[in-house]
Amino acid sequence: MMEIVLILLAPIVGGLMYGLERVIKARMQNRQGPPILQPFYDAVKFFLKESFYVNRLHIVLGLGHFVTLWITIGYIIMGGSLLYVIFLHLISSVLIIFAGFSVRSVYSHIGANRELLSIIAYEPIFILMAVAFFLHGGSFSIDVIRTNEPQILPLFLLFIAFLFTIPLKLKKSPFDANEAHQEIVGGVEIEYSGMFYEIIYTAKWLEYVFIYLLLILFAGNNIPLAMVLVGVVFVVINLVDNATARVTIGDTVRINLTIGVVLGAINIIGLVA
Amino acid sequence: MVAIILLLVLPLLFATLVSFLNRRVRNSVAIVGVLSLSIITLFVWFEGRVVSFELHHLIKYLFICVDTLLLLFFVWVGWRRKQRLVSLLAIVQLLLFVGVLWIAPYESGNDIVVDRLSAMMYLVINIVGGVIVVYALEYIETEPFAQAKKNRFVAILMLFLGIMNLAVSANNIEIFFLAFELTTLSSYLLIGYRQDEISITNSLKALWMNQIGGVAILLGILSSIMLYATLYFDRLIASASGQMLLPVVFLIFAAFVKGAMFPFHSWLLGAMVAPTPVSAILHSATMVKIAPFLILKLAPSFSLFLSTTVALLGGFVFVVASLMALNRDFFKEILALSTVALLALMMALAALGDEKATMAAMILIFFHAISKALLFLQAGVLEKLYHAKYISDINSLVDKAPRTIFFILIGFASLMLPPFGAFVAKFMALEALSEAIVTNPLYLFVLLCLIVGGIVLAILYFKVASKLLAIDTTHNSPNEKIPLLYFIPSTLLVGLLVVCVWSIYEHLGAIESLLALMIILFLPLFWRMNLSHSKPMHEYNCGEIDTFEISIYYFDLKQQERWIYLSLIFWALLVVGGVL
Repeated sequence: MMEIVLILLAPIVGGLMYGLERVIKARMQNRQGPPILQPFYDAVKFFLKESFYVNRLHIVLGLGHFVTLWITIGYIIMGGSLLYVIFLHLISSVLIIFAGFSVRSVYSHIGANRELLSIIAYEPIFILMAVAFFLHGGSFSIDVIRTNEPQILPLFLLFIAFLFTIPLKLKKSPFDANEAHQEIVGGVEIEYSGMFYEIIYTAKWLEYVFIYLLLILFAGNNIPLAMVLVGVVFVVINLVDNATARVTIGDTVRINLTIGVVLGAINIIGLVA
Repeated sequence: MVAIILLLVLPLLFATLVSFLNRRVRNSVAIVGVLSLSIITLFVWFEGRVVSFELHHLIKYLFICVDTLLLLFFVWVGWRRKQRLVSLLAIVQLLLFVGVLWIAPYESGNDIVVDRLSAMMYLVINIVGGVIVVYALEYIETEPFAQAKKNRFVAILMLFLGIMNLAVSANNIEIFFLAFELTTLSSYLLIGYRQDEISITNSLKALWMNQIGGVAILLGILSSIMLYATLYFDRLIASASGQMLLPVVFLIFAAFVKGAMFPFHSWLLGAMVAPTPVSAILHSATMVKIAPFLILKLAPSFSLFLSTTVALLGGFVFVVASLMALNRDFFKEILALSTVALLALMMALAALGDEKATMAAMILIFFHAISKALLFLQAGVLEKLYHAKYISDINSLVDKAPRTIFFILIGFASLMLPPFGAFVAKFMALEALSEAIVTNPLYLFVLLCLIVGGIVLAILYFKVASKLLAIDTTHNSPNEKIPLLYFIPSTLLVGLLVVCVWSIYEHLGAIESLLALMIILFLPLFWRMNLSHSKPMHEYNCGEIDTFEISIYYFDLKQQERWIYLSLIFWALLVVGGVL
């Protein structure tokens, strides 16, 4: 029962995190910032506005992205297999990429291609993470991982590698080339407007929930540690976002793959040996 | 037992019938043939018991005669086409074959053994292969040949199914050799079917490369007789495990040749000059599938060293072949290279030998067959109806051919995404490899190859899809008309895909993970949603009036060649390290 409530609340939690993030970021820049509920005010506004659409396929694919992402989060909360979760998440990314390809817009296509490249950058790290959890805890099941002792120390290198994927997933500097408002006008999001944009926007909140749910797996059954981890990482990610410039998508892939795969492989060899 | 004999004999019968009939009767006969084969296969699969029996010695003599004639034919082909290599290899095989007959011990054993693996291969061969034969009935009518030659094409395809049935049920290595050579013959005839210069060159290339496999099998038989005094797979596997594996190594080599492993991949790439049903049948249901089948069959005898070597090699080829596919433009060639990659993966998994990996390899064989058949059929449709062979000129085809594009996308999705079979195989492979790492850390590299190769293949499919998808809302296109004999096979394959996905999840007891995904199936309902409150718009282009062209990226492996060589050396060092 608790799980179902959590699953239903996921977009709201994501929205709050997004609002909080805007405040924290503003305070780092000595600004007041918007109220925490600002994302929800935006949502209402998007729903009331007249919406435009390019073609039906585009809308259906965007909706599919949102729905599969929600299902993925549901799986994590219900405690399914970590590997399965990673592949489910892949489906949701695939749908948004297809949506990007389904319109005749240069920005959308570039955005979709960059989105694809970012999958290359984080997918191996996720899978290696799952393998490491398996080797250390004996199971891919998230239920088991959550009842195990905290695994952040034996999996420390992979934890570092995972930290690199967070800005990539949340589209934060330095790894936000796939969205890049200033050059490709938001990439795959560009052709959505009104309530259709709201769907994509909410999917973005869900990404927050997704990535932080993966993060607390490292804390195992230690709930205080999980909260500390989320808090610290949240602040660090925003600090980095404020302090760094965007790197090109090629460099994003290179940095993530080299660091991620090398650290991951070393960590796994360490676990086996 | 009757069912098995029917599976071996019926294709021969129908092939003969098909050669003499006019078009309409031929089509009905071929469809009846395919249907009966499929029904028998299903019967064998659901009956699910191991059938084994011995063949009459007269039949064996007949087989020996056929073998000899076949090799003599190859000698003649080489002489006529002035290809010394072909004749030479055929003569070498003849000599070795005589040697085998000379020293073969007198032993009686089960010549035909049909276990679970063979029954699964029957499903692939007869059902997926059968669907391709039905498709070929329509396809071949668009080719400019005489009716007799068209009929012969269908007949060879039918015959091919029978030969494959023999290959996967043989327990006698000598009979397996015959089936192996007969598949070589059929592929030679089918690839060279158009008889133009390039077809002939490529068919001869396929011929000599596959003959190397034949030589390897004969050497395998010879060494098996010398070391273990047996001609039978089961006895060889039972007595060879933990001992001298020389015969097994020769057989693995033969599998590499058939399975288009590097450096033998060029025959499979050359095969695409043939009419599309040939590519479809070579890639999905027949021929190349001998390779993972053979490795699965031999895997129980593997030593840890042999497993590791084959798995590392397979993983490596998986990545490199996927990368190579990234700079190709010809749609069929892209599909071909992805077959090479996935075959290597199947072999790697088969070589691991533990239960999960074996299961993964079998699932991959099965679902790869369905997906590749589906994709190649669409390649044929694109070629015949839309005159599009290269992915650089299939711009926005979704306007003209929505159904074909739908099939292509399903085909791609079934090769990478949950809940389809290839994903299940990958999932189980990851589990199996994670368990195997503990005993042998070298498997970490296979694991990395699996992860990286899988992603590279995904990029490949996306690259093609990006070209196909962009919808042009400015004008309406006429409805798509596909001939029934094209449309029905594709639909059947999609149906087969769905049924098999369902049953595989049921078998694994994971239906509940399928259920959540069913929500996605409801998405197309939104297709008809009421959009009257929203306005259709054109794309935002920053106010510029530019024509929109989709360009795609190519990944030139030539620049990366030294990396490949470096990693090859690294691999070799790893293997050497493993030995020490």
